[in-house]
Order: sequence, then structure tokens, then C-alpha cells
Amino acid sequence: MNISIKRLFGRKPKSSNIAKQRLKLVITQDRLDVDDRFMTRLHHELAEVLAKYFEFSVNSVQMSLKQEGNSYVLVADIPYKKFHDTNPRR
Amino acid sequence: MGKIIVVTSGKGGVGKTTSTANLGTALALLGKTVVVVDADVGLRNLDIVMGLESRIVYTSMDVIEKQCELSKALVKDRRVDGLTLLAASQKNNKDDMQPEEMKAICEKLGETHDYVLVDSPAGIERGFSNASAGADEAIVVTTPDVSAIRDADRIIGLLQHAGIEPINLILNRFSPQLVGSGSMMDQDDVLDILNIDLLGIVPEDPGVITSTNRGIPLVYEDASPGSQAYMRIARRVTGQRIPIPELEQRGFLSNIVNWFTRNR
Repeated sequence: MNISIKRLFGRKPKSSNIAKQRLKLVITQDRLDVDDRFMTRLHHELAEVLAKYFEFSVNSVQMSLKQEGNSYVLVADIPYKKFHDTNPRR
Repeated sequence: MGKIIVVTSGKGGVGKTTSTANLGTALALLGKTVVVVDADVGLRNLDIVMGLESRIVYTSMDVIEKQCELSKALVKDRRVDGLTLLAASQKNNKDDMQPEEMKAICEKLGETHDYVLVDSPAGIERGFSNASAGADEAIVVTTPDVSAIRDADRIIGLLQHAGIEPINLILNRFSPQLVGSGSMMDQDDVLDILNIDLLGIVPEDPGVITSTNRGIPLVYEDASPGSQAYMRIARRVTGQRIPIPELEQRGFLSNIVNWFTRNR
């Protein structure tokens, strides 16, 4: 009862849901045979490129591979503060 | 020609051997001829789980080394008709056996039995390749926790690569109470991740421990939930269409009743 009241007020997500989400992520990488360093490298290089256009914190970037049906999707979540002014004529 | 089925999991300790022992016994109780094969060379356990450890004379290694005939190496289980065990050698290791040798043994056993159940060792190395070499089908055993499921997914990939089909799932040590409280993934979560067909769900049952202590497979005890689950699984293996029952989330009172009535 205590647990369900807590959940009602959104204090703690079910650990079974967390398990499922974590598993989906890691299994997608396992299946694609993604090298452990691949995601970190991609993360850094992507951040380097994006830094030219946005102002954001590198640590806030979340990247993951997801399976949707038979295809895989790379999802990047990048909370940015603002766009850089990239138009030199202005 | 009988069916050769490898029982595997990737991760150790999820119930491969218990499942092999119970499924094999259950199939024999249904009137089928069954041989259970321990493929865990060097770390054999199917014999002790089945209570046949004191009766082993020859092993699959003796057959490969032509020390004895295959039929002579089979240990007959006297409690039920049609059930025999082929033990693994305890003094060799997995590299002493070639996948082709195991395949030849399984195929020969398949000529004279309805079912050949091969108990695979944990891991993805030679022991697994030996165990799955002759298999037509696979049963993957997992528990609903992240490490077992991740390893199961890896094994499923290897089985698919080897062209073994169908691959069915036994979800073991399932606790409706924990699912109810949100602490355990349910069958839909697991199937959504692994994407294979469900052969059955075995609830967490303390009877498994006591039956292993005694060397009497659980399926001999009709009343236990684990036994009933394995009997249903055996019927499904024979092609009967048995629905997978919703495991009820038992309340406090029935837990107490259960605690008192359980054969401990």
C-alpha cells in the first residue's frame, strides 16, 4: 500500500520498468555488435560538431540505440541553451 | 525419428538442469520415450538432480572413446517407463569433445527415442556448441532478471545463427507477487525484449529445492505449482495446445495456508 501511494504521487518509478528500459538499450547494442568505444566516440564527435551550432552542456547529451520493429534508430537527446549565430553576414 | 532439443540459457543458475530433469520426466510420464543428455562435461549435475548419481557407470566420453556401446551407457530411471540418462564425464573437460561427436550421439539416440533433451552448460563456448550441435530445436530458460535475459538474448542470436528453429522460452522462477508490486518484469516485458515464443512459465516454488535435495524431480509431486507448470510445458512440447494460465497474485491469507500445507 505504501509503495502504491508513493507511485501514485510519482515518487519512484517501478524498478521492473527501469529494468526493461535498460535491457532494451543494452540488448540493442549487443545485437548490433556495437563496440564499447563506438558510442563514446560518436558521442564526442557529435558533440564537437553540434557545438558549432548550439550552446549546450556535453554532459547533458543522451544517446541511445533503439529497436523499432525490424529497424534500429539512433536517438539523441540534446537539451540546448541557444543557437549560435552562424550567419557571418549578420 | 525423435526430436533433439537443447535446453540452454547462457547464464548459469537459471534452471537449465532442473528444467531438463523435470521436462524429461514429465514427457516420460506422458508415455514418451525420453533420453536426457548431460552436455556439461567436467561439471555434470543432471545425474544428481535426477537422483541417478549412484548408478552411473559409463558416460558419453566412454562412448566417444569406444569404451562402450551407446545403449550400454544409458542409465535407466526405474521410477518411470521410457526415461534414461546419458551422463557427462566428470574427469574430462569440454574441449575433449567435438561438436560432431555429440551430434552423432544425439542423432543415434533420436532414432530410438521420441525426445532427446540435451542439458547445455552455461556460457557460449565449446560446451554450448557441443550441446547444440545435434539440436533440431531449442528451449531457452531464463529468469526475469536483467543479467539472465541479456544472456538469453545472446544465446538466442547464436541459436538462430546455427539455424536451430523453433526456439521457445521457459520463464523460470517467476513471482506473481513481485510482478504485482512492480519489482519484477512480467512475461510481456520479457517476450517483448526476447521476441521468441513462450513455452511456459514456472513460478518460484520452494518445492524445487526440496525435490533437488531428494533427487526426485518435482513433477512426481502433483500438487506443487512448479510440477503443474512443467507438466503443462511437457504437453505443449508434445504438440498439445494448453493455454498459459495467468498466475494469480496470491494474497496474504493464502500464502499462510500455503506455508502450512506445503511439503517442506
